[in-house]
Amino acid sequence: MKPEAALKGGSKISATKAIFIKELKIEFRNKQMINSMLILALMVLASFRFIFSFIDFSETELAAPILWVTFFFSGMFALAPIYQREVEQGTKECLTLAPISASTIFFGKFFSSFLVIMGLNLFSMVLFFVFFSQPFPDMISLITIIVLGTIGFVALGNLISAISANISQSQVMLPVLLIPILLFTVVMTSVEATYQIFDGQTLADLADGIKLILAFDIIFVASGYLLIDYLMEE
Amino acid sequence: MKRSGILTIIMMLAAAILTFTGIYLAFVWAPTHETMGEVQRIFYFHVASAWVSYLAFIITFIGSLLYLKTEDMKYDILAFSSAEIGIVFCTIAIITGGLWAQGVWGVFWIWEDMKLFLTLVMWLVFIAYLALRANSDPGKARARLSAVFGIIGFMCIPLSFAANRIWTQYHPTVIASAGGSLQTSMVLTLVTAVFAFTFLYFSILMIKLDIEKMKEEIEEIKQEIGDNGEIDYG
Repeated sequence: MKPEAALKGGSKISATKAIFIKELKIEFRNKQMINSMLILALMVLASFRFIFSFIDFSETELAAPILWVTFFFSGMFALAPIYQREVEQGTKECLTLAPISASTIFFGKFFSSFLVIMGLNLFSMVLFFVFFSQPFPDMISLITIIVLGTIGFVALGNLISAISANISQSQVMLPVLLIPILLFTVVMTSVEATYQIFDGQTLADLADGIKLILAFDIIFVASGYLLIDYLMEE
Repeated sequence: MKRSGILTIIMMLAAAILTFTGIYLAFVWAPTHETMGEVQRIFYFHVASAWVSYLAFIITFIGSLLYLKTEDMKYDILAFSSAEIGIVFCTIAIITGGLWAQGVWGVFWIWEDMKLFLTLVMWLVFIAYLALRANSDPGKARARLSAVFGIIGFMCIPLSFAANRIWTQYHPTVIASAGGSLQTSMVLTLVTAVFAFTFLYFSILMIKLDIEKMKEEIEEIKQEIGDNGEIDYG
């Protein structure tokens, strides 16, 4: 029987939900993981703060890169273990034997890691405003761009995490594989949009940029859905 | 001699003849550019190597797709070999482009130009592709992982190719709708150089495929020795 045949109607959604809850449980069972990521975000922002105490710079111009570099750093550490722990603990076989499709696993993991990383990003954003005395830009626009950018980052990150989990030196290989793709997608679109929001613009002025961010989000979620089958095969 | 061997030799001969003709045309026959001067002559080799790098990466993409569809290892070898050659030609294109820019713009590199940025990103993506292959064991798993990454990485190729058409910044567009600013003799030289490099690409690709096939045969022989404890000369 094909895996899909075992699932009827809404049960595919409930399988995604089961994976989603399982992932969150693992994430929060061991609070060390979340704590270390929060501390990492704090450390990255603190290093930027200290560096720029000595160097003269325009805070408004550098706000967007500082924020996104912090998101990338802490996000990558959150993404690396998503598939790696399944391989290391031998639970990948169980997942692939379960009568659910690989895309269900992908979406379950995608939603849970999105929730975790988005929480992490919001924490970093608050810290950023504490450390850097920036006048608040239009917060709704800023958070919208962060949410949209994070969707693409997490979707692509999940896919790359599934690749890097199966190769040696996976901790190093995740950023090596992820960064070049991020450069021409998330960095090019979201960082620029964030920069413009700090420059005083709002969502309405950035319609074209947002369309591009959305296009990359759709591409990454769709390629995750289409390609994950090949990565979960044994 | 095998048919593929004869074909390789024909390709190599064509590449050699066209390359020497191209060198003669570019350095002796073609007139000096009115505004750019002698440095413009590097453009024939720059465009040709850039074209070959696009072609090579597109073939990597096609090989990756075909591998995922058929699981035939020959497509994996095709994708990998083509990516390796593509990296070499992309490096040549970047270096020759820099030399040309030094002569015309006065600087080696303009970071703000999208064409330059996206081409460097394309180079980084395929460096990551090679790193991925270097860090995983030969076999079906590696073929699948690198095929998925090859497909994701392909996205930057159309972006890089179209960059100077979408964002008209510094990088000139050669194949413009109005025929560009090139004289007929310059166009002929360019076409010769492009054909020369294309034949060169295909002959290197065929040699590389032969080498990979031999490597596989050696592996098989090694396995046989390992299984029997002695070489079966029969």
